[in-house]
Amino acid sequence: MKQFGTILKFELRGYLKNKVFVGTTVFLVIAIAIAMFIPNITAMFKSEEGVKDKTVMLVYAQDGELASLVRQYFEPAFPDYEVKLAEGSLEDVKEQIISGSAECAFAMDSASSYTYYVNNLTMYDANTALAETLLKEVCRVTAMLQYGLTPEQAEKVMSVEIESNVTALGKDQGQNFLYTYIMIMALYMVILLYGQMVATNVASEKSSRAMEVLVTSAKPSSMMFGKVLASCLAGLIQLVAVFGSALVFYNINKSAWGDNRIIESIFNIPVNLFVYMLVYFVLGFLIYAFLYGAIGSTASKLEDINTSVMPITFLFIIAFLVVMMSMTSGNTDNTLMKACSFIPFTSPMAMFTRICMSTVPWHEIALSIAILIGSTVGIGFLSAKIYSVGVLLYGTTPKLGAIIKAVWKA
Amino acid sequence: MRLELKNIDKSFGDKQVLKGVSFTAESGKAFGLLGRNGAGKTTSIRILMNVFPANSGEVLVDGKPIDYKAIQIGYLPEERGLYPKKLIIDQLVYFAELKGMGRKEAVLSVDAWLERLEMTEYRNKRLDTLSKGNQQKIQLITALAHNPQIVILDEPFSGLDPVNAILLKDVVKEQIAQGKIVLFSSHQMSYIEEFCDSIAIINAGRVALHGDLRDIKRNYPRDRLVVSTTKPEQIQSAFGGACTRQENGSLMIQLANPEEKSAVMKRLVEHFDIDEVRVFEPSLNDIFVQYAGEQV
Repeated sequence: MKQFGTILKFELRGYLKNKVFVGTTVFLVIAIAIAMFIPNITAMFKSEEGVKDKTVMLVYAQDGELASLVRQYFEPAFPDYEVKLAEGSLEDVKEQIISGSAECAFAMDSASSYTYYVNNLTMYDANTALAETLLKEVCRVTAMLQYGLTPEQAEKVMSVEIESNVTALGKDQGQNFLYTYIMIMALYMVILLYGQMVATNVASEKSSRAMEVLVTSAKPSSMMFGKVLASCLAGLIQLVAVFGSALVFYNINKSAWGDNRIIESIFNIPVNLFVYMLVYFVLGFLIYAFLYGAIGSTASKLEDINTSVMPITFLFIIAFLVVMMSMTSGNTDNTLMKACSFIPFTSPMAMFTRICMSTVPWHEIALSIAILIGSTVGIGFLSAKIYSVGVLLYGTTPKLGAIIKAVWKA
Repeated sequence: MRLELKNIDKSFGDKQVLKGVSFTAESGKAFGLLGRNGAGKTTSIRILMNVFPANSGEVLVDGKPIDYKAIQIGYLPEERGLYPKKLIIDQLVYFAELKGMGRKEAVLSVDAWLERLEMTEYRNKRLDTLSKGNQQKIQLITALAHNPQIVILDEPFSGLDPVNAILLKDVVKEQIAQGKIVLFSSHQMSYIEEFCDSIAIINAGRVALHGDLRDIKRNYPRDRLVVSTTKPEQIQSAFGGACTRQENGSLMIQLANPEEKSAVMKRLVEHFDIDEVRVFEPSLNDIFVQYAGEQV
């Protein structure tokens, strides 16, 4: 136990002194800080740009009355544009757009038919969609007036509003989608990054022959658990630094964010979801880290690591894809997901997704966590075995069969 | 203290690496474990250090199974290497702590050893900034800092310059004088001959020879004479096939019977121009070649 503590401390200090680790963390914190200050920064620029001329939108119609009616509707609906009545012929309008003095133009044939002129049509140009809604309104109001309604009556008809309330009795997928997404992305990145680090760490001890002294000084199980838990702690420290600074910077800029529902909901994660997130994150991380460590101990050269860890990386990416696809399809309770939420290598992501996005009976959650804890400990000891067999094998990377045989005998 | 390996068998897969290896080492003495590459020395050492268990056989201290919690072992592996990117003081303290020392105690001991091996100036440097010989001295500290009762040194002299070799010799002599069991494994026979009172030669997983080095030498048949002379041709023609010319120019005369030793010596001195004549005693090198050379 004392040995385990010594190893844990030594390995953790190794991470915290590692320039890449510190550099990445600092970079992430700075990136988060910048992201959190964005509303303030844009507000700063906006106040300067406020006086700048708006881009021009032209409304052209042969019928001058139609043109001014349309303009009357468009002006409040397109606050980013200065809506102007076009002068001259249609050719002049096109000329103005090409020369850049106007950005776009609506050439009205009638209230229900128009041509939209724009120089470069961007992918996100929503002007026509909005224009159509407005034009329908124009047509309807015109029609109502023709049928003899007063303008007040027409306005009353047009401004009917429907009151609605949605209450989700189970889970609100829309809101919890975000937590799931963040957790799965964080787990994905941390496992791939740190798993590789654990594997490299073990393999480099082997290639530098520090292993020769280590195996005679410490128990393989102490080594394996010390290393993996140290990397897990390092990962958590990094995440706490990143999310903690996000929280701090968010609170500094809270007023500037106003009531941005997405951002707000991230920081108001329900406590029970947060606890599940932590549990599944730590266990999911550990189980993969043990595997990566075991693989690292069977490689004899650092260069072999990338190919050796491939099967685990594939396993993990498949789990990731299954969960991601179920998540975006909205049906997180399909049979595949149910199965995956009990298999230890997929359950951290699958079960957490299900908890967030649907209603899972407590005994299923308990069973999933129990299986996961059991297999994590089991994989941990198996990895320690593989480690103790693997570390003294030099030369060619041993075949899987040979490792299994040696572990079985050990 | 008496360290004993008794009938150790060990197989890796289908390959039997050790076949009933037994030897004994005593405290206050140095013990030489010899053998060709792949003979099973490192496997024996690893079993002794409990890196993996033997298939059968025992490791005993004073007749009782060794208690790895009570008996500390220091090991300098043949394959050298520590953490190249870490500070020397950090890793030395780490290894001493792994062996059960408290942190303060470990720092004190490591500093004392750095001083003893004239390495204090490198204390806060990274290992990979040191020369190979100096890295080796650092590695020696990992074997000695926790003050073990048993010290195992595998090829300790390889890569050291003569000055450092003398320093290491002094350290080894100190360890022996402190009553520790020092176990040497080396191919440099001159060092083994200088330090070791007893040896074991392992050949193809078996102990081919084991015992006190002086006794082993004394038990060799004293039936050969080494002759230094200025006129070897005369002697060679007189003794015929029994006399062979050695590489260093001296002659070796094989006697038909050890008892005629004195008579032959007298005859040589009386009839030929002789600088020196003595009974041939094999060097450890000769013994090694004889016992480890033959394939079983």
